[in-house]
Amino acid sequence: MQRILTVSVMAVLAVPGMAWAAEAAGGSDMAKAFAVLAAGLGFGLAAGLCGLGQGRAAGSAVDAMARQPGAIARIQTAMLLGLAFIESLVLFVFVIAVILLFVKS
Amino acid sequence: MEMIEHPPILHIPAIPDHILYTWLVMAILVVVSLVATRRVALVPTGSQNFMEMVLDQFVKELDETIGHEGRRYLPLIATLGLFILTSNLMGLIPGLVAPTANLNTTVACALIVFITYHVIGVRKQGFIPYMKHFAGPVPTVLKPLMFVIEIISHCARPLSLSLRLFGNMMAGHILLAIFFFMMGFDGMLGWALSGSLGGIVVGAPAAAIMVVFVVGFLLPLKILVAFIQTFIFCKLAMLYIAAAVEEAEHH
Repeated sequence: MQRILTVSVMAVLAVPGMAWAAEAAGGSDMAKAFAVLAAGLGFGLAAGLCGLGQGRAAGSAVDAMARQPGAIARIQTAMLLGLAFIESLVLFVFVIAVILLFVKS
Repeated sequence: MEMIEHPPILHIPAIPDHILYTWLVMAILVVVSLVATRRVALVPTGSQNFMEMVLDQFVKELDETIGHEGRRYLPLIATLGLFILTSNLMGLIPGLVAPTANLNTTVACALIVFITYHVIGVRKQGFIPYMKHFAGPVPTVLKPLMFVIEIISHCARPLSLSLRLFGNMMAGHILLAIFFFMMGFDGMLGWALSGSLGGIVVGAPAAAIMVVFVVGFLLPLKILVAFIQTFIFCKLAMLYIAAAVEEAEHH
């Protein structure tokens, strides 16, 4: 299963490279193709993994709130801070993706 | 991005948009503050009541995070918070620009926090003890390593503080821009009005669904994000100041 996944990801990565190489187009075209691909794949990965992490964090927080309703306010603050820290990693990727997509290199 | 994004309503050629809208936010805040404090009464009414309610929240958070010394930093934290909140919410109005959706504004805010908490720490403890607490409670052999790591982590603070705010605001901005683009006359609505059968069968319901989705889900989400990001920025600034202040007490 893992091998199939690896091979397919590598194939997807190789396709635009080969396509543009076959056309023997300028280097910037190929760089643009890889940039778009990297932005999409990278942001997808980051968002998905962030979903896993934030799900764990929020789930644990809700567990804690159900156990101790008296401490809801403090748990909420801690949860928000934790979610922000997890989310900021995705936002780094987002900034990189925006740079890749919109800044002309 | 210029392709799908509507240019802002207010635009002066020689001035960048985020600076212009920062001035607008400043004007709003100054006017509101002046109106609120024009006739200060013991029993507040109207706008004074509102501003006191808002500032009470900041005071409560400060007391909770920094302790009894926290109220000294109320001007800094409350100014940052009100500025960021106002500009976040301004980004929700179509045609206006959120100044915080530009990296320059958020880096300015984050650097203010960064410099301030170091200055507070140095003034509280003196330069040498403040540098010492970077090394942390580890054996002497590990102290140089710890010092370097701590310096790097402190430098990462303004980076993450600014990029978090910028990324959230920018992401919401782009999302709304793309949805408005897809809904509008270049997208589904234009398809529906073009008179073709496909446009009437598919385009019109799709446009209606998108309007419901944007108004019912995306805009409330953006309002929530505006408040949460303000809260997190202020809370982190308070935590950094608290860390700089607290170390003085048990050394």
